[in-house]
Amino acid sequence: MLFTVLSLALGSGGLAAMPVPAEATTVFADRIYTAAGDVIENGMVVITDGKISAIGVAPNGERKEGELHVAAITPGMVDLSSRNTNMQTVEETTEVSAQYHVADSLDLFDRSWGRQLKSGVTTVVANPYDNNCIGGFSIALKTGGEPSLEARTVKADVALRGSFGSQPSGKNHPARRRPTDFYSRRPTTRMGVEWVWRKSMYDALYAEGNKDRAFDGVEQLLAALNGEVPVFAQAWATQDIRTAVFLKEEMAKEGKTKMRLIIDAGAEAWRELDFLTRTGTAVVLPPFASDGRTFDNAFYARDCAAKLHGAGVPIALSAHNDSSPGHSLGDQAAFARSGGLSFDAALEAVTISPARIMGIDRRVGSIEVGKDGDLVLWNGTPFELTSSVVGVVLEGELVVDPR
Amino acid sequence: MKNQTLRTLAQIAVATSLATASIAATAAQTNTDGNVVVKAGKVITLTGETIENGTIVIEGGRVTAVGKDIKYPWDAEVKEFPNAVAFPGFVEGLSNNGMDRANENIDVAAFLNVKDSIDPVSFYFEDALRAGITTINVQQGKDCVVGGRGYVVRPHGLTVERMTLRPDSGIVISAVPKRGKTRATQALALRQAFGGLRMYLEELVQEKKDGKDYATREALYQGREPDKDSVKGRPMGGNSWKVENLQMVPRWEIDEKQLPMLEVVEGKVPVYLYCDEPADVHTALKLANDNGFAKRTVLVLGPECWKAADLIAKSAMPVILTGSMKWTERDPVTGEETETFVPGVYAEKGIVFALQSGNSSAESLWYQAALCIGQGMSREAAMAAVTTIPAKIMGLEKRIGTIAPGSDGNVVIFSGDPLSVTSHVVKVFLDGNEVYDRATDTRMKHLSTGAQPANTASSAELIEEVHKHDDPVVEEEEKIDAGENKKDKDKGEHEEGDGHDHDDDKDGHHEGDGHDHDGDKQGN
Amino acid sequence: MMFNTILAAFLAVSAGLTATPQPGTPSGSEGVKAGVSPASKAVSDAAAFTAFKAKIVYLGNGTSLENGVVLVQDGIIVKVGKDLEIPAGAGIVDHDGALSAGLIALHSNDGAGGELNDTTRTVMPDAEARFAFDPKHPELREALEAGITSIVLCPSSSRLIGGQTAVVKTSGGVIVKPNAQLSLGLSSAALSYNEFPTSYSGALGELNAQFSDPKGAVSRAVAGSLPVLMDVNDRAETMRAIAFAKKYKLRGAMYGSYWAEDVVVAIKESGFDVICTPFDVGDNQRGARSVAALAAAGVRIGFGLDSPARHPASLRFGAAMCVRQGLAADSARKALTGDAADIVGAGNRIGKIARGSDADIVLWSGDPVALSSSIKAVYIEGKQVFGGSK
Repeated sequence: MLFTVLSLALGSGGLAAMPVPAEATTVFADRIYTAAGDVIENGMVVITDGKISAIGVAPNGERKEGELHVAAITPGMVDLSSRNTNMQTVEETTEVSAQYHVADSLDLFDRSWGRQLKSGVTTVVANPYDNNCIGGFSIALKTGGEPSLEARTVKADVALRGSFGSQPSGKNHPARRRPTDFYSRRPTTRMGVEWVWRKSMYDALYAEGNKDRAFDGVEQLLAALNGEVPVFAQAWATQDIRTAVFLKEEMAKEGKTKMRLIIDAGAEAWRELDFLTRTGTAVVLPPFASDGRTFDNAFYARDCAAKLHGAGVPIALSAHNDSSPGHSLGDQAAFARSGGLSFDAALEAVTISPARIMGIDRRVGSIEVGKDGDLVLWNGTPFELTSSVVGVVLEGELVVDPR
Repeated sequence: MKNQTLRTLAQIAVATSLATASIAATAAQTNTDGNVVVKAGKVITLTGETIENGTIVIEGGRVTAVGKDIKYPWDAEVKEFPNAVAFPGFVEGLSNNGMDRANENIDVAAFLNVKDSIDPVSFYFEDALRAGITTINVQQGKDCVVGGRGYVVRPHGLTVERMTLRPDSGIVISAVPKRGKTRATQALALRQAFGGLRMYLEELVQEKKDGKDYATREALYQGREPDKDSVKGRPMGGNSWKVENLQMVPRWEIDEKQLPMLEVVEGKVPVYLYCDEPADVHTALKLANDNGFAKRTVLVLGPECWKAADLIAKSAMPVILTGSMKWTERDPVTGEETETFVPGVYAEKGIVFALQSGNSSAESLWYQAALCIGQGMSREAAMAAVTTIPAKIMGLEKRIGTIAPGSDGNVVIFSGDPLSVTSHVVKVFLDGNEVYDRATDTRMKHLSTGAQPANTASSAELIEEVHKHDDPVVEEEEKIDAGENKKDKDKGEHEEGDGHDHDDDKDGHHEGDGHDHDGDKQGN
Repeated sequence: MMFNTILAAFLAVSAGLTATPQPGTPSGSEGVKAGVSPASKAVSDAAAFTAFKAKIVYLGNGTSLENGVVLVQDGIIVKVGKDLEIPAGAGIVDHDGALSAGLIALHSNDGAGGELNDTTRTVMPDAEARFAFDPKHPELREALEAGITSIVLCPSSSRLIGGQTAVVKTSGGVIVKPNAQLSLGLSSAALSYNEFPTSYSGALGELNAQFSDPKGAVSRAVAGSLPVLMDVNDRAETMRAIAFAKKYKLRGAMYGSYWAEDVVVAIKESGFDVICTPFDVGDNQRGARSVAALAAAGVRIGFGLDSPARHPASLRFGAAMCVRQGLAADSARKALTGDAADIVGAGNRIGKIARGSDADIVLWSGDPVALSSSIKAVYIEGKQVFGGSK
């Protein structure tokens, strides 16, 4: 309680040295990047009962034996496109499966969660596999802790996930085999994908005032159209980004002005700054590609993140479930910097910005009193390949010990 | 005296041409004589000192002086980079890239030479320059038992000769089982390669002794003593096994397929010995010791070989580390996952190691060194592993890897710390000549910003352009074209071309297309 | 062949539907016993007593009796004890070895051929496995010879809601309990590559739809009168099943124990019983360790068999493997008999050597969970069905 008061004082005035509490997780660092606007030199973070209870300047004097002191601290990183979900997370027997929840199909015992955690990603959004046009509901969850949804969920049904481009149509074909399989279905083209999206949205619109026209998933689609949950759609290439944006604008003309759109894996978003800013669309970017070539033939310019940020588009970076050195989310922030994104913007793009985009910033995304005690401990300046994540604190528990 | 005069004249000529160039305000990439003075805000020499606001004087392609406030000829061309860092450039200790096919399928191919495979216009060399690599040891791949000879090259030049820094830089031997073969077969093939050499040499000597060779017979036929001059071979220089009286055989009489192998046994050429797994290491070491080339051997190791680190340390051979830096292993019983930082193991054991670039251009040498530092290695050790150590392994430490008087005039100008992700290569000088300038690198500009270089258009636009002038009669062909380019970003023109009259055909075509497409996916 | 399958399926469904209108009357064992088994009962001598004496009598509840006597009359155990007074004229079976209740194989297909997997639909809660039961099938004889006197027939776990399981005896065609459990497929076995559901989200979505608007057998499961049998395999499926059961306050058992050691606390808290995955010789030790961990945590366990894919003898071998990994021998014997019966709600009739229970008795040369022990004789409802001299 005492510390809360102290840190409140910090917000308004200068940073005063504070005493070290005995019963709590306390981490010291040469620099603390809070992602809330501050960088604290020679600082400390105190976590009590899983929540950050105080932030401030460490008391002067010699370091004590066993004290946890690292070069830098950032908030636990947030990856909105965890991509560790397999084909069994989307119901492929229908191209629109809005009524289903990816939460029902997660394997929390999979090793990938632990690897993400170790690489400094403490919160992810898990999405249905992108083989459907509209796949179902995504979930925001922690990458560690008790392996139960109850313990790990940050926010259930955080977005309605779908996909544009070639992936939803990739396996489909006209009916010709005996017996036919369910891939004998719509859509087989980009046009078809768009048609399925638009049809399901109009179907939902018509069903809104007319119970006779209700269908499975109508409530979920309406929740998205009414802006209660965002639509989180994969769209790598220009034409798919445009399709998504046009659909949003079309729905706005139909009166659904509150619909929110988030583009995932928008490699070519740098080509469509006007559309994105015009519709207030946020973009989650795919991992760095040295030759610029990504999925769906999309060209991922190295300054994509910098351009979007410069134009005021909210951005988040993603590692697409690669946690190896040189490919993890922290490294993606490094590569975004090499493309011209400032350090501060890169920090935000892996912490508070994704948290805001998904509406989970009350709990995660920055080092502020009252938020979850998720910290990443670095052995040097973050977002350089010459530094790496040496420790991770998850809700006050030191899950990766740098010592 | 005469030389000096010529030199002075040349310098004047350069100065004049430079003056003209600067007036014309065009790109200054004109000098090719290897004379330049580079000043930089920071000069990393890698000889132990880093000079603030340093000057590097390069004359005739070699560094003649480096330091702070040093004198240089009044007429020298001076390049100033007050906010940048001058760096000797990274050294690729071994690469299988830049060749048109790196592997040879013959078991013993020591008579081959990579100079015949090197493709000077390969993107690989271009990317290497962009990443600040100034020297590359190009060697054959590991799909052989004994491979061809390598070349040390600079990543610039239109012919292999112009690129070459050192020809015949070493020979490749592989302890890694060839595809489809077992480890035992590989070990046998290796023994046979050297056993075969020995048998061949012994037979050759015996033939000489028996007077069965052509020159001897010719002399006897003519009724004179055998020509003493033809017997001008040297005794064999091997230190594990020798063929006595080899000096009876002139070197030029030894089969060209066997001569490189003889040189290996005699310890005259460096050997790059590939090992993928710890089990390969033992095979490799035994082979090197049995055949006398242990002292000239460099081990090229796969990630898992760290398990044989003690054996390697004992051999005192330098190593080149390939593949992933992290070795991840899951215990089959407990399911526990353990990670090993591979270069760290070698550093701990005191083994001299060099790092190799990864598979993509992003994972270049700077990246590998930076990751090592991130994993806790000292900056000096990580930097040495991509500069001075590979230079020393090649025996070129006096020429490359450092900026010091006498070394090659290779300078890479970085915008900042060479190992920082935010830095980029601004300019590269090789042998005192400017060979790379980021400002004029259109491909880099495209990668960075998506900008299209002038005078180019996307293929879709070009197709459109062609179709505009098409005679309506060729509509049929046009349609097929449109179908094939279905995956490209069509601009709609093709759709118009597909008249409604041809609906039936069109459907048929698309179904066929769908069929193929599905077949591909099924395979995955 | 195909026609037969469809016909059987149709019959199963229509029979299931006609059976449902009387959910109020508990489909208790007595009714069925009276209805189905009199033919076999009539064979035995009504008046005669038989006394079984053995060096050690395993009672089926984890305890045993040395030099015990089991008195049987009319196929029912009437008295169990030491030094019992044996009525005059009673037949005496004096066995120099061990005596236990007949073993119970949970999750078996013996005698039902391929009739437990209706591939035309994935939700059919009112299908009943008992209608697929062929009491004269030769597979049952093999089970009997392995000391198994009762098996639980289960609809295939490749269906989301496959139907209701049935407890039957391996001799005499007796159906001990017709509607024992409602079978739910929560493992990847229930997912298909070309039919609904292809995903866990689809599967859970459909299950939620069925359970939030319950009809027929599902409503009995939701009301708590019909236990569920949830098929699970890995840890994630186990946790998912526990969460699902919690949501609808279901009770019953989970089938699948291989990964249980990692989630044993959650299983214990769920209150669910666990039917252990069958074992093969040479299996990874994890499976057996998991069973030991479950028992140590106080979870009630029984053993699955999945015959005829596995030989019935592997039921006892599996238990022995678990004992080797630390499962108490008492717990193993209990899991093979008394607890198995309790899991399927038939503990008042089978699985125990206790007054009132059916006289399903196996005479062993030694401890049933010692692999060196052999079976000397098997009795079902007091009648010898296997063994040297009859």
